[in-house]
Amino acid sequence: MKRIFKLNLIKTFLQLFFVALFFLLISCQEKLPLNKDLTKRSYAFLNQDSAAVNFPEIILGKTTVIGFIYTHCPDICPMTTHNMALTEERLHNQGIDNVLFVALSFDPERDSPEVLRKFAEIRGINFNNWIFLTGDETTTKDLLKRFDVRAIPTDSTFFEDGTNSYSIMHTDRISLINNKGILKKNYKGSTINIEELITDIKYIGE
Amino acid sequence: MNLILAILFFIVPAEEKIKINDPWVRPSSEGMATALYFTIENSGEEADTLYKVDSEISKMVQIHETYKSGDMMGMREVEMIVIEPNSSFELKPGSHHIMVMKLIRDIPIGDKVEFLLHFKQAGEINITAEARK
Repeated sequence: MKRIFKLNLIKTFLQLFFVALFFLLISCQEKLPLNKDLTKRSYAFLNQDSAAVNFPEIILGKTTVIGFIYTHCPDICPMTTHNMALTEERLHNQGIDNVLFVALSFDPERDSPEVLRKFAEIRGINFNNWIFLTGDETTTKDLLKRFDVRAIPTDSTFFEDGTNSYSIMHTDRISLINNKGILKKNYKGSTINIEELITDIKYIGE
Repeated sequence: MNLILAILFFIVPAEEKIKINDPWVRPSSEGMATALYFTIENSGEEADTLYKVDSEISKMVQIHETYKSGDMMGMREVEMIVIEPNSSFELKPGSHHIMVMKLIRDIPIGDKVEFLLHFKQAGEINITAEARK
């Protein structure tokens, strides 16, 4: 009788253990739902100093927050950049300074390294923890595909001097990558909940 | 008394029925674009329309709206913004904004930029917007 009771107790305990484990795994997956390895291909870019850099080499070993922008964007991309800068500032205030911030331009035709540098400097961004990337069109498109980010040129405005400026319709995106180059989570760049991002950064271990 | 009130109602300049609150622009560089934001308050009894904006800092200023299509964001020009009577309209990030293109100089943080807003009823209103992040 005692033996049967013990067996039932163990059975119940194991059932509860596996149910708890199941819910724990589900909640972890919901917290960081992606697991895409970005290290399988490498991409050549230029940074804001016109130095050749390799993605993902530049991000390996550091938790990385990457935003997708173009500098002629007056509204959404400055919001995305500002949200990344606010994240950096709040992390710094908590003593966390080893997160890398990458801004990848999906407008390589206009976003030269000099343009990217000016875009950052006028917003007070320092380059200790930031890298701005631009590359050739094919490389940029290839990497954007890895992130499921789309960028489509739309309306053009024509100026009196004969030049024109086009807009780009684009995915509104900031992504979180762990220090092994694994994409862990996507967020809406312009309206991201910064506290959620900071919690996720801490969760994957800065 | 009613007569006095009625006379006062008609001699109050239309401009005062439209107030522009908290104008600001994003910092940006020469040759690039920026966005101007503000809130329009219409305390009048009739609707007014913002149909044009000028500035010496750019030869091309347009009224724009940001829109969403699936997970993508874009922006497009709109002809005007109508502000209903006794209401306000906010031009804000991720929504309606004034698109200021091909800047003739840098706009650093803290800089001040003047704009001239054109309303159908209130006429021209000058504003000064501060550059902030």
